[in-house]
Amino acid sequence: MKINILFFGSLSDHGMSGARDVPGSVTDTDSLKMWLGEEDSVLQAALTRTGNRIALNGEFINKNNELKDGDEVAFMSPLSGG
Amino acid sequence: MSVIITETVFYPAKALEAFEKSVSGAGAVVSFTGRVRDEGGAVATLSLSHYPAMTQAEIAKAGERAAQRWNLLDWHVIHRVGDMHPGEAIVFVATASAHRRAAFEAADYLMDYLKSDAPFWKSETRGDVKTWIEPTERDREDRNRWEQD
Repeated sequence: MKINILFFGSLSDHGMSGARDVPGSVTDTDSLKMWLGEEDSVLQAALTRTGNRIALNGEFINKNNELKDGDEVAFMSPLSGG
Repeated sequence: MSVIITETVFYPAKALEAFEKSVSGAGAVVSFTGRVRDEGGAVATLSLSHYPAMTQAEIAKAGERAAQRWNLLDWHVIHRVGDMHPGEAIVFVATASAHRRAAFEAADYLMDYLKSDAPFWKSETRGDVKTWIEPTERDREDRNRWEQD
């Protein structure tokens, strides 16, 4: 399964955005986050910070969501505009 | 009722003039402009990144929430992205309603939303050091004031 993974804010310092082939163990947003963390301990720490947000296909999500081929998942550090 | 995301310098006075003209029947118009502080000359560049696939649509949802809650006649948001320098406008919010309280509160709500709930990320550069600027506890408290039962 191919997932377009995006990192925003301070998370973009640790993760490289782009389409990735994910292993069969990745079936939802929680397991995707876990897999990314297994690859990189610094990214793992950054991904588990309080205040981070996740969006699936351009919509914020607040709970684990199943993934399908071609989905776009955005990992965001705390939002800060204005 | 519109959202503009722009990479170029904009002029709040012109934006307000255009907004005022478009809502000539409103009893109250409130506007707010946020500018890049220079922090005594320490800040060279403020950078705003965003998630283009979400930004406009998410701000429009917040504008619609404000319009319904305060019965606005109109609202307008301009937000800069990219690199900007001290003195330049980052954000402009304008609201129009029949009476002043609604326009004040709606503009305040939209600014609190933009500070900590819209898909923007802010960093500043001082010398060669880049620092991400994240919402403060005060920003979160400001945003939470608007939560309804």
